Amino acid sequence: MKPGFRQSMAWLHTWAGLVTGWVMFCVFVTGTATYYRADISHWMRPELQAAAVEPGVAVERGAAYLKVHAPKAVAWFVSVPQAERPLLDVYWFDSFETPIRQATLDAGTGAPTTVRATQGGDFLYRFHYELQMMPGLGRWIVGASALVLLVALVSGIVTHRRIFSDFFTFRRDRSAQRGWLDAHNVTGVLALPFHLMITYTGIVTLAFTLMPWGITSAYRGDELRFFVEAGQSPAWRAAAGRPADALPLAPLMARAQAEVSEPLEMAIINNPGDAASTVVAVFEEPKGLAHRHPQVVFEATSGAVIARLGTLKPAAHVFTSFLGLHEAHFAGPALRGLFFLCGLLGSATIATGLVLWAVARAPKAGAVPGFALSLVRGLNLGTILGLPIGIAAFFLANRLLPVAMNERATWEGAVFFAAWGLAAMVGLARPYARTWREMGAAAALLFLSVPLVSDLTTDRGLDFAGFDAAMIAIGLTLAWGARKVSHYRGPARLRAATAPEALARA
Amino acid sequence: MTPSSVLLNLALSFAGLSALCLAMDRHHRAIFRVAPSRRQARALRGAGWCGIAASFAAAVILADWNFGPVQWLGSLTGAALLVVGLVSYRPRWIRPAALAALPLAAAAAFLA
Repeated sequence: MKPGFRQSMAWLHTWAGLVTGWVMFCVFVTGTATYYRADISHWMRPELQAAAVEPGVAVERGAAYLKVHAPKAVAWFVSVPQAERPLLDVYWFDSFETPIRQATLDAGTGAPTTVRATQGGDFLYRFHYELQMMPGLGRWIVGASALVLLVALVSGIVTHRRIFSDFFTFRRDRSAQRGWLDAHNVTGVLALPFHLMITYTGIVTLAFTLMPWGITSAYRGDELRFFVEAGQSPAWRAAAGRPADALPLAPLMARAQAEVSEPLEMAIINNPGDAASTVVAVFEEPKGLAHRHPQVVFEATSGAVIARLGTLKPAAHVFTSFLGLHEAHFAGPALRGLFFLCGLLGSATIATGLVLWAVARAPKAGAVPGFALSLVRGLNLGTILGLPIGIAAFFLANRLLPVAMNERATWEGAVFFAAWGLAAMVGLARPYARTWREMGAAAALLFLSVPLVSDLTTDRGLDFAGFDAAMIAIGLTLAWGARKVSHYRGPARLRAATAPEALARA
Repeated sequence: MTPSSVLLNLALSFAGLSALCLAMDRHHRAIFRVAPSRRQARALRGAGWCGIAASFAAAVILADWNFGPVQWLGSLTGAALLVVGLVSYRPRWIRPAALAALPLAAAAAFLA
């Protein structure tokens, strides 16, 4: 007999969800944390106090550093210090083939910063879409998983027969499987608009990675022109090959600022020192859904305005609106909190789905679980509790590693992966119910110790009260969850063992 | 997109979703031991949809068409999570909480 449509969809949902669940759980958790990227970065550089620096002066300072350290670069980028990141970041390309290079300077002096070296919130942000792998490979894995997740979402909606009648239903008093199914349904349905939006727009942000062929075939060998024609970046002007003196940057920035109401975000100097050099003033996004930046382009030697970018063509506007919706830079604190909550619900939907797969296939009491089930149980443990353990260890490493350590930022990442790897190995070696309890308690303790360790190693008083409160809340939630797991399994097993009618039904 | 406009959205969504929840046999029974009469159920359902519509109107008026729908959907999710939490752990609190949400919404509207 051919299975019905709904059964086929249930099968698709189960397996599409299982194979991408572990990757997408990590993507959801780190992406959710990224809503507070600036706050995390702030916390991870406790030496840094906000210092007000005139944007034009900051740009001059960054360019002065680059003139000494990267005189032959094809392009310089100086990002203006912001309230949430009071540092002067400079980037440069030595050539189009080499990767971008970066230095972090003190905004007040323009000298390399003495603040502890850390990737800050950018670490979790990069992990969110590249998994800290080679960028190409990581983006492909995340993009492909997201495509499958979209399939899992849609097939899940078809599978879920009682969306409206079970809308508010969470039955805790029935079987374990019923409880997990209800939790999966409730977290999935309540934030369904978010899940669909974030998965779809996430795929859109990776569209150029997943489907580069449209651009490569239309713009053979000149892919940069696509972004120029889409109105997203100014036309590239080739170097003239002879040196010339450029005008000071601060007055150019001031002139650009007079045209744009948003604050200055970055200055780009193309072909620095060349007669054909251009200077681009890039401003922050205007209020609106779309992620786009007004830009004013000057000729570096004469100061003449070459181009003004701001309005986009309809297709580019749709694209940047999707990007904006995904990143939610527009959200104020309250709406950001709701986005964060939705992200947590998304992570919970995936986690409960993964656990449900294992619970639904639990062997009869006394039987030995098969290899596949043990593997899934182990991976569930290693991912759902392993990743939080890694994140907590990452925060602790930020406070405990010596400030002057060599390659310090890399070591923080190494601690993250070491702690996670250790947890994953414990999970794979002991895929039992009580390991959930033990590892949950360990994760809770790690998160609860973050504010304590931070307070002992820094002297910022209550500056980080919000971050500390979040750590305590996460720790308490994990502790509560670990306790729930330990209390829930016991009575259920006891009931089943003592009540004859329950045995008869099983 | 001020905090008070999000609070207004949350309060209206919460009141509306609570009414919808109480209109359902299973949840009404869990709280009042009896299923709602047909008239009660219809009235609750009507009030619930009105609350959700009012929340949408408030979001669009206060945060315009760009952000309004985003804020409205976000507040619906947050409020629904609260309703589910209450109905499964503290079912008796739903009615007083929904009633308390209305003056809260009025206060938030005054501030927004």
